[in-house]
Formats: sequence, structure tokens, C-alpha cells
Amino acid sequence: MRNTGRRRLELTRVASLGFTAIAALVFLGMLVLFGVQSLPVWRYAGLGYVTGTRWFFRVHEFGILPMAYGTLAVSAVALVVAVPLGVGTAFFTAEVLPHRSRRVVKAAVELLAGVPSVIFGLLGILLLRDFVVKLLAHWEPLSGDTLMTGGLLLAVMIVPTVMTLADDALSGVPADHRLAARSLGLTRAETALKVAARQAFPGLVSAALLGLGRALGETIAVFLVIGRQDNQWPERLLSFQPLANAGQTLTTKLGGSETFIAYGDPLHWGAIMGLGLVLFAVVTGVSLAGARLVTWGGNRA
Amino acid sequence: MRKGLDRAFTACVAACAAAVCALVLGIAGAIVWRGMAVLDWHFVSRLAAGGGGAGGVLYEILGTVILVVTALGICAPLAVGVALTETVYLEGREHRRTRRWLFSGLYAANSIPSVLLGIAGLIVFSRWLGWGKSWLAGGILLGLMILPTVSVALIERLRSLPRKYLEAAAGLGLSRSQVIWSVHLPQSLSGLVSGLLLGLARAAGETAPILFAAAVFSGAGIPVGIRDSPVVALPYHIFVLAQDSLDPAVQDHLWGAAAILLGMVFALSLLALPVRLRIHEEAKSA
Repeated sequence: MRNTGRRRLELTRVASLGFTAIAALVFLGMLVLFGVQSLPVWRYAGLGYVTGTRWFFRVHEFGILPMAYGTLAVSAVALVVAVPLGVGTAFFTAEVLPHRSRRVVKAAVELLAGVPSVIFGLLGILLLRDFVVKLLAHWEPLSGDTLMTGGLLLAVMIVPTVMTLADDALSGVPADHRLAARSLGLTRAETALKVAARQAFPGLVSAALLGLGRALGETIAVFLVIGRQDNQWPERLLSFQPLANAGQTLTTKLGGSETFIAYGDPLHWGAIMGLGLVLFAVVTGVSLAGARLVTWGGNRA
Repeated sequence: MRKGLDRAFTACVAACAAAVCALVLGIAGAIVWRGMAVLDWHFVSRLAAGGGGAGGVLYEILGTVILVVTALGICAPLAVGVALTETVYLEGREHRRTRRWLFSGLYAANSIPSVLLGIAGLIVFSRWLGWGKSWLAGGILLGLMILPTVSVALIERLRSLPRKYLEAAAGLGLSRSQVIWSVHLPQSLSGLVSGLLLGLARAAGETAPILFAAAVFSGAGIPVGIRDSPVVALPYHIFVLAQDSLDPAVQDHLWGAAAILLGMVFALSLLALPVRLRIHEEAKSA
């Protein structure tokens, strides 16, 4: 009897720690995999790989800046739209709505989070494209496939992340503090903005960062509406015009047919894997920074 | 003046919330409305025809179910292991650093773009193991993708277990593994189930991980064996057809397929929702 108890103890422990080790190794292994597989391109192009603005794989010219620009541009659009919308909604659920009716809004947000990205992509193709053509008429887009379309679609997709985490941060502020503020004569808006938001500020930044992490890595929806045009390095970086053009992001390049084309050529394959490595590093960095901002045991979503 | 600002603030944030709710209703509404036109028994019981743009989506539905069930099998044991390690085996001050590493690792793993999993799968399963395209590769990749979500859901639940249960179990002289099997696991079952449902909802709709190593557009039925046994799946089906969506007949087919996929995903998330919201609030207030 005692003996079997012993054995199960060992088994449970070994299985738990073993499974954890497997999971950790798989994800570390992935990082190593992308590092090792991209070695040829680093040897070949060196730093030129991340500073080059031209990508012509047939002549072995690999510069990822146009795609990095595409990724940053769509993510910036997404953040500009999603952060006010998400944080505003979080203010509504955490500061205005009574406790019971919060769940309705949170349930809606949770459902939005569950919509598959391919469905967002489909809606983008069938509904958003025409809207963007009208919206950007002044900049004369060639079609509805623009960086702006991708960014707006991403905005809708990251609103749930931003909202949920911002709501967690705000509702983590003790109710006593709100009561104290109200009894000192502050209005609800002042309490929310000057007391709750100030205390929850790291959490709000973290919500934006984790939303950004999602935006940077999203593939399928953006793929369907961005036009996937290579070498769209804008002449003026801060102008609005490039947003009305088609483009390419790190993820849409990775998800596209070039990944299959590259298969036979080690250097070209290395260049594709390099995109993966850069994406991996940036997304992990942003998300870890976001996670670090919220204290241990606080927000977990 | 201050009253006015207060009202403006309330109106502003209420408008944000209304916009978000309208988005959800609009998306679901548009898909149900357009999908209803093509959804009938034939659509779910027949095979795709005419280059995929006509006929039904029977195999696509079955393929998605196969992928999701495989992901469940891969993810569940790993998630339980990770969660128990985090909450039970790494309990106490001396393991604080390791625990933090593990938790940061979960965050990092959760943020990994799913397309990278797909490409890693292409290298490992298709190239190194020589599987070609295989349903098993897809299931494994999807299982790994949802692992962080499910683990964190379970960890939240385990953390909010009443201390007195554990103290009572310890008082009865149970060993740590006996406590795990008699208190931790049964008491956190709801967390595991709701976390898994939510993860599976995500897995059912993901395209990027199965893009390279698992899914094909046509020519696959029920897979037999592992090597070169691809599946057709709803998200991939929609992904491919959406790139060729000018034909109105294809559009109808697309809306129908999207309605079915969204129905599956929402059904899974709605099942998980009540438990999840409750656990989340409890974990926060604990």
C-alpha cells in the first residue's frame, strides 16, 4: 500500500516536471531553430540584412526594412485605434458600470477575442476594403488592399487584448481609494482619471504592449487585405501616403508562397528564417516588457 | 464645468463600450445573415465540389474536428504538468526565481506568432521527420499553440483553491501526490475544462500553424496513418477561397463556411465563458 503510494508520488512528480521540461525545451528549441536556420543569410549579408531596403531573392538581395516598415505601420494604425477604444471600454466596465452588468460587456469582448483571424480576413476582404477606398479617397489608393486596411483590421482584433488587460489593471485599484476620492469631492471622471488611471498606469501600458505584441505577430487576417507587394520602402517615412499603398509585413512574407519557393536554396531559406528570427525576437521582447510591467501575481490573462 | 466634464467622460467611455459591442454584434450578425442563405443540411453533409467553391464542407468540418481533438490530447497533459509544477512543485520562497522564469516563459510562449509555429512544423515534421503534410503535425502544433492559455487558466484556478482544503489534506497526512490527486486536480477540474474549451476554440479557427505542415485545400478525406496524410480544414478552406472571392457563387460558399466555423468557435467559447469569468474574478480578488 505504502509502496504504491510512493510510486504514484514519483510518477506524478516526474510527469509534471517532465512535461514542463518538454514544453520549455520545445519553445527554446524553436528559438534555436530559427537562429540556426537563418545563419546563412547573416553570414552572407551581415547587418545589411536588417538595414537593406531591397528584397530581390533571384539576385540574392535580402533587405528586410520594407517589411519591417510594413509591420510597424500596420501595428501603429492598430494601436492608435485600439488603445483608446479598448481603454475607454475598460474605463466603462471598471469605473462606470455596476458590477453585475460588467459581465455582459466582458462576455462580448471575450467573444470578439474568439473570432478566428481568417474570419476577420474574410470580413476585411468583403466589407472593409470598399470602406477604406472611400476613407482614403484623398490619397488615391490603387485598390482596397492597403496598409491602412490591414491596420484597421488588426485594431479590431487587438481591442479585446487591450480591453481585458486594461480592465484588470483598473479593477485592481482598491475600491477604498475610489471612495476616498469621491468623498473628497472628486467627480467620477476625476476619480477614474486622476486616481484609478494613475495607479493602474503600468497596467495600462502593459495592456498596450501586449496588444502590440499580438498585432506584430498576426498573419492571416493581414495577409488577406494588405496586397503583399514587396519593396514598398517609402520615400518619406513619416508621411501618410504609404498607408494608402499596398505593402508587405514580416508575417505576410512568412505566410506567403515564398516560403515554399525558398525551400531548395539554403541562402534564400536562411533569409526567410531570418524574418522569423527577427519577428520572434521583437514580439517576445515587447510581450515580456509588457508582462514585466504588471507586478507578479497581478494581471494574468 | 466639472459636472460637464464628468458627463463628457461617461458619454465617451460608454460610446467606446457601445462601439465594441456593436462590432461583436455586427460581425456575428453579418456572418449569420449572409451564411443563412446557403446553410442547409446539404451544405454540411456533402463534399466540396467545383474547385472547392461549390458543394458542401463535410470533410472540412471533420478535418477541423480531427485537428482540435488531437490538439486536446497533446495540450491537456502538458498543461496539467506545467500548472502543477508552477503551483505545487515550485511552491515556496526558495523557488521564487524559477517560478518567475516559468511564468515569464508562459507569457513569451503565448506571444509567439502562430505563423512561426507553422514554419517550425514545416522544418521539423515535414523535412526532418519526412511526414510531408500530416494531420498529426497540425494537431501537435495547435496543441502547443494553446498550451500557454490553458496552463494559465489552470494556474489561476489552482491558486484560488481555498487554503483550508490543502491544510485539511495535509492534516490527514496525505503525501504531496495524494493531495494533488484528491484535492488539486478534482477541485480545479472546472478551470481545466474551461481553459481547454477556450484554447480549443482558438485552435479550431487558427490557420497559420496548419498552413505549411498539415492542411491542403482539396484531395484529402479522413486521414489514415501519419506520413503524407493531410487534412482539409475549415479555416484553411476559407483562407484559400477568400483569395479568390470575386465570384459571387464562391462568396456564398465562403459565408456559409465562415458561419459554420464561427458557430463552432462561439459554441466552444460560450461553454467556457461563465466558469472563466467567475474564476478570473476570484483569482483577482484572492
